[in-house]
Parts: sequence; structure tokens; C-alpha cells
Amino acid sequence: MAAAVELIAAPWNIGLRPPWPGREPGTWRTPQALLSAGLEARLRPARVAQLDRPPYEFDAQPATRIRNGVTIREHALRLGEAVQSALAASRFALVLGGDCSILLGCLLGARRQGRCGLVHLDGHSDFRHPGNYDTASSLGSAAGMDLALATGRGELLLTHWPVVGRPLVADQDVIQIGDREEAEEEAPPVTRFTAQEIQRIGIADLGERVIRRLEQRELDRVWLHLDLDVLDERVLPAVDSPGRPGLDFPQLAELLSTLTGTGRVVGLDVAIYDPELDPDGAHAAPIVDCLASALTPLTTVGTHT
Amino acid sequence: MKTLLADGPSNLYATEMEQFGRLTGHWATEITYYPTNGSPARRVSGEWEFSYALEGRAVLDVWQWPAREEILTADRAADQECGLCVRIWDPRLQLWRFTFHGTAHGDQVHMYARQIDDEIVMERAVGSDLIRWTFTDITTGTFHWRNERSTDGGHTWRLDQEVSARRLH
Repeated sequence: MAAAVELIAAPWNIGLRPPWPGREPGTWRTPQALLSAGLEARLRPARVAQLDRPPYEFDAQPATRIRNGVTIREHALRLGEAVQSALAASRFALVLGGDCSILLGCLLGARRQGRCGLVHLDGHSDFRHPGNYDTASSLGSAAGMDLALATGRGELLLTHWPVVGRPLVADQDVIQIGDREEAEEEAPPVTRFTAQEIQRIGIADLGERVIRRLEQRELDRVWLHLDLDVLDERVLPAVDSPGRPGLDFPQLAELLSTLTGTGRVVGLDVAIYDPELDPDGAHAAPIVDCLASALTPLTTVGTHT
Repeated sequence: MKTLLADGPSNLYATEMEQFGRLTGHWATEITYYPTNGSPARRVSGEWEFSYALEGRAVLDVWQWPAREEILTADRAADQECGLCVRIWDPRLQLWRFTFHGTAHGDQVHMYARQIDDEIVMERAVGSDLIRWTFTDITTGTFHWRNERSTDGGHTWRLDQEVSARRLH
């Protein structure tokens, strides 16, 4: 049965490196930018939960080589509670980030209600961990580590969680879609559909393969992570690390619609659009259109007030 | 400083406080170091004393080597350690925050800790290494502690130091 949508605004940028010295990334502005562009009006959510903006620190925090690692843990726990609360109310949780480190809190909240798989839509693997890069040379960015951390790789600070323990999701329960830089970094040991492969098989076939994998794994509950850099830079350049090839908006909407239509997806987080890289706001509207076209069917039944 | 130590855990986080609180008391230790240069292991005796503190919101310990009985005739040498560990449960992080303040070499160490199954695992990331201090095999009269280092992100661990502890009282 379809459920009402709950919007959770997570104005984060703490998982990203500074775009230049002394400058904070602008992804914290995204929730407000998407709401102002009409997302709330289009989805008519049952509730909009507004989380605090975490403070950004440029310098290392104690005993961690992850930038803002301590702050990320604290706010991931808060986000986890918000997601858990939305799911407990039988609502579809739509988390507006923020950067990709919001995935940790989202999975934490989803996992507190039982096993939950992950479909990871991202133009990159986000699989950096201390075993595959030089942590001594610079602080790591959690937004480039979210899949590694979610699967239990990395510092205890961001891999061991109350109630759930470690990992937040098993390798076998992850499907990654859209990595365009597969040859450059260690490939995560999960089911993968690279950007190049998607170009060959098309969105419809991709959707069927993903659903088949979910059925094989008997995953009745799945979290959907959407790093908007899975889109081709020609349609969305306002992200931290744009690139090509990638999806276009109609392809992304079709894929989201197919996946949420299975009834298995309990929530979706949207990350990495940076309004400061989009000064005239031109890209907010197509993002809202894409999300609304894919998720509006979820709003037709439920506890909308 | 009568307000420093406490008789028991705070009711605020009694369950979490018990994780380290069960170590309160005075322990004799045998400390073994495993040099990285391949030279033979080195053993020294020591003492380890734990107590609740700060209205039961913290667990402090004093780490000493050599044991007091071995320094009866002279003061502790300047390079022999008598250090203070402070462990405070942070409900916002759902972790223990830990600091060690050494008097012998000026060491200051920050770590984070959680109980994981039957062990209490403490960790810090330094440069390219992960360092873990783990309390294990904890009984009312004994426990084991090990200090390990990983240079490959936690895939493999090298044992640098371990402690066997026996309760004195």
C-alpha cells in the first residue's frame, strides 16, 4: 500500500571538503532550495521535519582522520531518529540533503526496524576507506566514503552504531548504480551497474535487473540513496564532482519510479546538489520535477493532513 | 578534591557506566611490549586502579609501571609512567570519549570507545594508522588488554603491547 511522504530536511555539508580554503560547501542550502522550488507543494507531505545545520569545522577533530567525523556521528544519530520516526508512522521518508554522509543516518533509522538493503545511485563508488587511500596525507571526506562506512569499513567512530552494530548494510544487500570511474579506485564487492553498462542496457532493463536482485536477496525493505551526480554533468553541473557519462532527468525519474513502484523502497535521500554552484537556481526546478514525477504516486494514499 | 571520585555510577547512564565501571578497583598488571624491530618481547610489572568519578559520570584510572612494590627504595624514575585516563560516556555520540594524560613523556591521547560484544574497543586514527586498545576476557578477578595497530585500514592488526591484569582489591 502506498504511504504518505514525510520530508526530512538535513542541511548538511560536513561530509565534503572545502571547495577552496576557508570556504564551506553549499550543499546545506539544498533543502530550502528544493522546498522553495515547489517540492512541498508537489508532494504534499504529511510532515516536514527540519533538522539543525551541523557546524562545519575546517580543522581535524580529535582522534579521527575524517573531516567533521565527530559531528557527523552526532548528527547521523539525530537523523536516524528522524527517519525511524517517519517509518514508524508508516510514511515514506524523503531526506533532503546535504551531502552523501547523510546516508549513514538514513540507514541507521531504517535498520532499527529490521533488515534493509541499499540501492546506491551515485556517479562514484564512494568506497574510500583507510585501506585504499593515504589517510595521512589529508583529512578524508565522509561524502566520498559513505558506501565504505555503511558496509562497515573505516573508523569505529562511523562504523559502529547503537542497536544496529556493524555494518549498517551487508555487501550482499547493496546494489550500486552509476559509478563512472570504475577503473580509478577499488571496486566495492557489491552488485554493480556502472554508468557505461547502463548506457548499453538502458533504464528499463536496468530496473528489471535491480528488481530481480532484490527478489533474489528477499529484500522487502530497501533504502534508496541518490547522489545527484549520477546525472550527466551536461544536465546537472551544480554538484561537487560533476562528470559524464550519466543519466538524464527522464531516465532518473523512470528508474526512481520503477524502484519505488515495487513497494520495497522505504525511503530516499537526495544529496549533493549545491545551490551555490547554481546561482540563478536553474537546476532546482528539474530536480523537483524529477522527484515529484517519481514519488507523487506515493502521496495518493496515506495520512496526508 | 573530595568531589573528584564517586562511589558509584550516575543514574543518568547506569547501564553504559557499568561497561567500564566493572573494572573499578585495584589491579596488578603484567605488561608485555612487542618491539617492531624484531627484538625480544619486554615485560614489566605495573598497577592499574579504576574508580568512578565526577558524580558517577566518568570512570578514571591511573596507569603505573613499575608496580609500587618495585620502587620502595626510590622515587619513580622520570621516564617511568604514572598516567591518568579519563573516560566519559557521551550520550550525544553514544560512545565513550577517552583521554590519557601521561606524566613520563607528556603523552596525550584521545580515543573513542564502545562495547562490542564482550569486548570494550577503543580506537583512534593517527596519520595512516588505526590504533585500538581492547579490554577482553573481563571477569571479576581478571582481564586482558591489548594494544594493536593497523596500517591497512583495519584489515590486519599488529599486537604492540598486551596486559594481563589480576584484581588486588
